This record gives sequence, structure tokens and C-alpha cells, in this order.
Amino acid sequence: MPWSNQNGGGPWGGGGGGKGPWGGGGGQQPPDIEELLRRSQDRMKKIIPGGSAKLLLPLIVIFAAFVWIATGVYRVQEGERGLELTFGRWDNLETMPGLRINWPPPIGHTEIVNVQKSNRVDIGFRGGEAESRSRAAVRNIAQESLMLTGDQNIADIEVRIAWRIGDPARFLFNIQNPESTVKVAAESAMREVVGQTPFTDVVGEGRGLVEQNTLNLLQEILDSYETGVIIEDVQIQKSRPPAQVVDAFDDLQRAEQDKERLENEAQAYANSIVPEARGDAQRMIQEAEAYKEQQIQEAEGEAKRFLAVYDAYRVAPDVTRRRMYLEAISEVFGSAEKVIIDSDAGGTGVVPYLPLPELQKRRTTGKPAESQ
Amino acid sequence: MGKALAAVVIVVVLAAIGWTSAAYTVHQSEQAIILRFGEIEKTVSEPGLYFRYPIADEIVMYEKRILDLDPPPVKQLLTDKKTIEVDAYARYRIIDPLVFFQRVRTYNTLEDRFGKVVNAALQRVIAKVDLSILLSDNRDDIMQQITQEVEGQGGSFGIKIIDVRIGRTDLPPEISQNVYSRMSTDQERKARETRALGAEQAKIIRAKADRDRTILLAEAQRQAEILRGEGEAERNLILGDAYGRDPEFFDFYKSMQEYRKSLAGDGTTMVLTPDSDFFRFFGQETRK
Repeated sequence: MPWSNQNGGGPWGGGGGGKGPWGGGGGQQPPDIEELLRRSQDRMKKIIPGGSAKLLLPLIVIFAAFVWIATGVYRVQEGERGLELTFGRWDNLETMPGLRINWPPPIGHTEIVNVQKSNRVDIGFRGGEAESRSRAAVRNIAQESLMLTGDQNIADIEVRIAWRIGDPARFLFNIQNPESTVKVAAESAMREVVGQTPFTDVVGEGRGLVEQNTLNLLQEILDSYETGVIIEDVQIQKSRPPAQVVDAFDDLQRAEQDKERLENEAQAYANSIVPEARGDAQRMIQEAEAYKEQQIQEAEGEAKRFLAVYDAYRVAPDVTRRRMYLEAISEVFGSAEKVIIDSDAGGTGVVPYLPLPELQKRRTTGKPAESQ
Repeated sequence: MGKALAAVVIVVVLAAIGWTSAAYTVHQSEQAIILRFGEIEKTVSEPGLYFRYPIADEIVMYEKRILDLDPPPVKQLLTDKKTIEVDAYARYRIIDPLVFFQRVRTYNTLEDRFGKVVNAALQRVIAKVDLSILLSDNRDDIMQQITQEVEGQGGSFGIKIIDVRIGRTDLPPEISQNVYSRMSTDQERKARETRALGAEQAKIIRAKADRDRTILLAEAQRQAEILRGEGEAERNLILGDAYGRDPEFFDFYKSMQEYRKSLAGDGTTMVLTPDSDFFRFFGQETRK
């Protein structure tokens, strides 16, 4: 006859079935108990041991009762709360971490809830670290992740929501499927917020605001159900254009880069030619200044020279003049070939016999009539 | 085995059977209906320990907590001729288990029958709006309206509707396709515009740079011409001042210089007549 820490009428069963263990463990003989029972039957209907009879039976009863009560002991771990129910009813008994005791099983029952653990709900995808050992890849669930935005576009959004139990009693006694409620409400809230936000904000810089609004709305919904759930965080994991249009969006990105590139190239061109032009301009001005200075200096030199010669000339005009003339003439005629034709005989008669190359040479090298 | 022991065992076993068949607990999250021979006897809505007549009384337990009701999605044509697929869900609580028992008995039956009520209300309400309203702030009002429509009918099922919310709002695949192509073309338009703007900017920058260069050079040219002019003017003044002292001598002096400069050197062949201008002085001097 197996004897365990049974419940439900434990003490009675313990007393009634006490024969086996008592016989084995106690070392007493079975006839004794039969005798005892016979005697007790004489006196009372039930177990009231006789004076000289053994005190064992009550001891067994007390021991069994103690064991039974001990099954009401439970432990609340750090971060948990225990909710003690008596006959299924909860009388606001919430216990903090530690070793606690409630009524033993058929009477009492204790629900233990972790109020610190952060739970996750994913919308639009499955996988990630939680299931990484089985499948590392994150799967997108298009049915969940595609959402209509405020301007009637469609965005592909993956959200992870973290929540924890804030009020264990509400969480346990007020809502049947808190986890699925969080998920459904989160999806509804997310879609409501995205439905009021333009596409560019949803996939762009408005994400933070979408997260914040969703968190607030979701908390509001869950509070209205009195779920006792606290939303810790709403995090948009991915928010992008749907796969069908992603090429067009990428092309726009490229276009923006192209634009920047074109502008940069043009700017580089501008940066190279303007300074060069400034340099050219400076060169032109400097050259002109140099020319001006040159003109002045040369003119002054020439004037001084003339005046010097003139001053000397005035001392003896006639002689000087003739001397200058003769010097010039001798210099000119000294090295030149000379053909002198009388004006009466010259003109048309002689010119045809002149060698053409000589004339050509004279024209190119002699530079006649440049200055008067 | 003594008779006494047997008697005790029997008593105990009977007591245990009696206890388990008569006593029942109603959990904090439950409520119960007691049926006596199939007739409704009473409802028990407070948790705790209760007793019944074994065999005669049957217990039907219902949730007291908030329950889900998630009817299948419905398609509805909106006023802007767009068909959308909407998935609504409701949260409810059984407030009158008797009525609930009489009307639907099981959660599944309720899901089926009340789900239709919810969907009908949903369709009625959203048929009056267009998509932009459904996506706007008015979504909340729409959900309120649906909740109100449904609330009244909840009583006849013994339930209280906490709220009705719209979950997914999806366009049917063919319309989604249109949206995608619109989004694509929109992006393409923007891309083209962006590239064109880039080209525009680039041209503006280049043109401005070219203009700057031209202006810089022109200004420099102007300044250079002025400087050259100043230089030449100065030269003329200086020379004029010097030569003006004796124009006749200047004539002679300059001529001599020019003769030397232009005629001196090898290879010059002179074809001259004695009475040419070159020999003006030659002639004069020889005649003297």
C-alpha cells in the first residue's frame, strides 16, 4: 500500500491506511493495532485511544496533518509576487519574495507571477534572438507588416513590443488571454498610428514619434481592459517601403547622390576656374603697370637724351648738325648696297631688271616705314 | 482484518466521495450556473467554496474575465469605391451567465453568432466613410460608433461589449498593386526631378563661375588698358615737353635716328633718286 503525501482527506486517509508504514517503520506488531481497534470499538466509534493503548495513532494523525500543512509552504522568488487564493477566492493577499505559507492544497492555491520579466511581442516578423537556436533567420510576415499609411501608401514595418506585468491580480483575474490581447491591441494601435502618419515620416525621421504614439495608445487600450500590463517599449525594428517598390526608392536615393555629385563637380569646376581667372587678371594688370612704367621710363630716358644732345647742339648748331648728319649718312650708306638712279632716267625703265629676291628680302627683313 | 477497521475505512471513503461530489469551488476568474435536473437553479458569481446536491446538480462554469472575440475579416466597399479588407476584434465579458447559457451556451457559438453582429455593424459604419477618413484621426470615432451599435445587442447574449477595435485594414491585392505602382512612379518622378535639379544646380554653378571669370578678366583688361593709356600719355607728355623746345631740331634729330635704325646694317639695297626726300639734306648740303 503506497503511502504518499496525499491531499484531500489526508488525515483520515493517513489514520485509516496507517497500517503499512506503521508496521514497516515502527517495528511494532500488527496484532497490537487490531487489539487496539477492537478496544476502541468498545468504547467509542472512532479513534480515541485507550489509556494504556499506544499514543501512536494520534501521533500519526498529527504528523500527517503537519505534513499536509507543510505542503502549503511555497517560495516567491525575487521579482515575483504570490497571490494566495482560498477556495478559489482571492482576498487581496499578495505576497512579496520569500518563504510563505498558504492553506494547503485543496483549500488554498497560490498563483505566482513574475512582475519583473520583460515579455516580447513581435509584429510583422518572427524569429530573432528568442528562437535563434532553432532558426536564426528573421522571417517577415507580410500580412502583419504591411500597413497603410496616412497618405494611402503602404509601408513595411516590423515592431517589437516589450511589456511586463504591472498588476498581477488584474493580469490573472481580469483578462483571459493577456498575451494575445497585448498582441492584438498592439497591432491595432500600431495600425491606427501609422494610418495617421504620412509615409515619409513612417519610414523616415517620424519613427520615434510613431513609436511614442503607439506606446501611449496601446497603454491606453490595455488600461481600458484593465489588463494590468505595462508597456515598457515599442521599438520599430524595420520600417521601409514594401519589396515591390524598393527599387524605385533606391533609385531616388541614387538620384539624390547623383544630384550631389553633379553639384560637387560643378563646384569643383567653379573653384578651379575662378581663382585662375583672378590670377590671370592680376597678371594682366601687372603687365599693364609694367608697360606703363616702361613707357614712362623710356620716354624720360629718351627725353633726357634728346635734351642732352640739344643742349650740346645749341652751343654750335651748324657744325653739330652737319656732323650728326654726316655720321648718320656714313653709318647708313657704309653698309648698304646702293643703286642710285637719276630721276630723269629712272622710274619705269630700270625697275623691271631688279632682282625680285632682293626686293623680297628687303621687304621682310628691312621693315621699312615702321616709324616715321 | 477487524470489522472496526473496515468500518472506519468505509466511513472515510464515503466521506471523501461525498465531499468531492458535493463541494465545489468557484475560482476568482469564474462564475457558475447550477442546473438541477437540467433546470436552471441559480448562478454563482462570487468565488469561494460551495456545496451542491450530488448527481442532481450540474455545474456550468463560465469565465468572468474579459474574453476575445475575433470574427473573420470582412470586405467592404467604401464611399470612394475602394474595397478594403477590415479585421475587427471585440473584447467582452459575460455579465449574465444565465442569458448566455440560454442563448449560446458555448464560447464558440457566441463567436460565430455575435461575430456576425460585430461584422455587420462594422460594415454598416465603414460603408459610410472613405479610406482617408478610415485612416485619419476619425478612426477612433468609427470604432466608437461600432462599439455603440454592438453594445445594445450584447445584453441579449448576456455579455457586455468592452470595445470593438479595428485591427488590420488592408487593401485587396489588386488595389495594393495599384498603390505600389503609384508609389513607384511617384519615386521615379522624384528621382527624375532630383537629377534634373542637380543638373540645374550644376549648370548654375558653372555659369556663375564662367561669368565671374569673364568679369574678372574684363575688369583686369579695363584696368590694364587704363594703365597702358596712362603710360603712353605720360610718355607723350614727357617727349612732347622735351621735343617741343626745338621742333625743327627734333625733326632733324629724329630723322637721323630713324635712318640709322631702319637703314643701317648689311644687305640693304638702296634704289634712290638724288632728289628723293631722303636726300633732302644731302642735296642741300652739296649745293652749299
